[in-house]
Amino acid sequence: MTSLDEARSLLREFPVVDGHNDLPYALREQVRYDLDARDIATHQNAHLHTDIPRLREGGVGAQYWSVYVRSDLPGAVPATLEQIDCVRQLIARYPADLRAALTAADMEAARAEGRIASLMGAEGGHSIDNSLGTLRGLYELGVRYMTLTHNDNNDWADSATDEPNVGGLSAFGREVVREMNRLGMLVDLSHVAATTMRAALDTSTAPVIFSHSSSRAVCDHPRNIPDDVLERLSGNGGMAMVTFVPKFVLQAAVDWTAAADDNMRAHGFHHLDTTEDAMKIHRAFEESHPRPIATTATVADHLDHMREVAGIDHLGIGGDYDGTAFTPDGLSDVSGYPNLVAELLDRGWSRSDLAKLTWQNAVRVLGAAEDVARDLQETRGPSNATISDLDG
Amino acid sequence: MADLQHDIHTTTEVGREDCLPDDPFPVESGAAFLERAHALLEAHPVADGYSGLPRALAPLPWYDLELGEAAVDTDVPRLREGHVGALFWSLQVPERERGERAVGATLEQLDLVRRVVEAHPEGLRLVRTAGQVIDARNCGRVAVVLGPASAAALDDSLGILRVLQSLGLRVLSLAGAAWAGEKGLTRFGEEVVREMNRLGVLADLSGAPEATLARVLALSKTPVLCTRSAAAAVHPHPANLSDDLLARLGEQRGVCMVPLAAEQTGPSVPDVADHLDHVRVVAGPECVALSGTYDSGVAHPRDLADTSRYPHLIAELLRRGWSETELSQLTWGNVQRALRSADFTARATQRRRESTPPRPADAEA
Repeated sequence: MTSLDEARSLLREFPVVDGHNDLPYALREQVRYDLDARDIATHQNAHLHTDIPRLREGGVGAQYWSVYVRSDLPGAVPATLEQIDCVRQLIARYPADLRAALTAADMEAARAEGRIASLMGAEGGHSIDNSLGTLRGLYELGVRYMTLTHNDNNDWADSATDEPNVGGLSAFGREVVREMNRLGMLVDLSHVAATTMRAALDTSTAPVIFSHSSSRAVCDHPRNIPDDVLERLSGNGGMAMVTFVPKFVLQAAVDWTAAADDNMRAHGFHHLDTTEDAMKIHRAFEESHPRPIATTATVADHLDHMREVAGIDHLGIGGDYDGTAFTPDGLSDVSGYPNLVAELLDRGWSRSDLAKLTWQNAVRVLGAAEDVARDLQETRGPSNATISDLDG
Repeated sequence: MADLQHDIHTTTEVGREDCLPDDPFPVESGAAFLERAHALLEAHPVADGYSGLPRALAPLPWYDLELGEAAVDTDVPRLREGHVGALFWSLQVPERERGERAVGATLEQLDLVRRVVEAHPEGLRLVRTAGQVIDARNCGRVAVVLGPASAAALDDSLGILRVLQSLGLRVLSLAGAAWAGEKGLTRFGEEVVREMNRLGVLADLSGAPEATLARVLALSKTPVLCTRSAAAAVHPHPANLSDDLLARLGEQRGVCMVPLAAEQTGPSVPDVADHLDHVRVVAGPECVALSGTYDSGVAHPRDLADTSRYPHLIAELLRRGWSETELSQLTWGNVQRALRSADFTARATQRRRESTPPRPADAEA
């Protein structure tokens, strides 16, 4: 039996829980949620990283669908609700393959039925517009994690990719974390500044997650997790879900991206500009500087290191498919997970280690958050704090 | 039209044999009418179409509706005294919170309602369907129905309508929406009404332009509500309905919920009764109901200062010869019918109609 065969057999028993997939946002941007125009029951290779046939091929058993909306535009709350509606429409359209999941027990039930447990995660605290009532509304609607920031700071938490502002979490930010604990919504520390990671770990009484982040020691990028934070996961009980995004995981790609951005700015464009003139400059740069290619082994290098620092019980996978333009060789879309598992088998990971990585840790973490919530609700009611109360 | 049978209890112990409700020469004193009103409401409680309680409670640092709360017009003891069996809680947001802030503000109101109801489990129960209203009543709880919410809460998105419905929203006001203006509904507005029918969200047309009201009456597969409208022929007011509209509302079997708001009805109990008499005649006895409008910032007619005062209004109507059947429709039956019909229409529609994208490209016109 090849390692790929063994990987597939392992995934049949312990499928992948993926921490982050941006299909809903891709459907918004590409077809304004016209789900007929992207029937994911059929191959959508030309448009998307994700469809049901490839999720099946990839051995995915549970997916946190991101209900991401941009943080640099107003109207985050309505846009987030539309993303939630999109996930629900997908679940309603493909009932043989997708199953709504709100709890760890739902995840196990989906696995037993052979359906893909569909959970939701909100990517950025801007989605609650500084309101704990809105946070509770999102929980009520099924959102089971919230990333505290996206690429920009919000009023109460610092992002990894913005200037330091509140120095981690403000008093209101800590109250958001406590209220998430009380609800049973996982605190997601991808995208946040290291100061925010540490403040959240200091505050949270429930396990935290990184829905799509890798190791900063392996590849120095602010989106990755420093070792001192990874070390704290065993005490906290949470998990880091390794991401595949080449410009975060491969040092050569990090450097290349920085050079490409500098080149854009040198030509007077914003580095994210996608207008025709800007893209012309970008293409010329790419022709003279070939884009470095990440591979399955690049991601496995991160997992090897993260395992050493955080421990096998604190790892998972968060591909960020349909949220990134480029993907590593061997992990080009959601059908690729078996390649990663095969690579890890070749590196000597045991079947029981891999079962933890793909399935068991993520189910345990959500269940633990539910337990904490049940306990907290015995002694604490909903928080009415406002940002002006706490942060002045 | 999905008009279903509704269960009106016809108890016989209410009227005295020597004074039938239709007796043109009642010999009873005021106290006797009041006593009969209590007995009648015992059997047929009030379904109150509009309460501003969520917004009235929001700024209060603490409150206790179970024991009685002087800061508001509504609390459990007074609801019981007034025989209120069901209460529609408005989620409408103030003008300054229109625009994209309206969605978050509506979520916050939903959260507040949930917290208030959870904090008063002996008195209140959050319900969605007509059947759950009955269950709540059988358990001795006041049924809390969610809505009307502002049209602005949709941010022009059918997806958000679906999400709010999943949180329990049952009534949406169409007043003030860009897609429901002076010229009637836009194509997107028509999609909204169809999706509301599919979801079982009732349309509230109080305050909506006449052309919109007319179009929704024609389009909606289930009766509509006017949660705060009295008769313009009795007392002119922009939110009151002309006889023509009342008649058309009656044809559609919609429900005109007369507000206990002095500005719209006049300042006395007989003034309110005049409106109810008029709407009963013009729209029909199955198309008239009550809307307390308590805690919404309006002035109430004398003797109708809070939610405990409904028996005084019913006593006046008894005095005017309303039959028990008519009164039971007024206080309870008509609203139940509208809810039940919306439930039925939703079930029937979901079989044949799938949900559409939140902002359909072909409905932008």
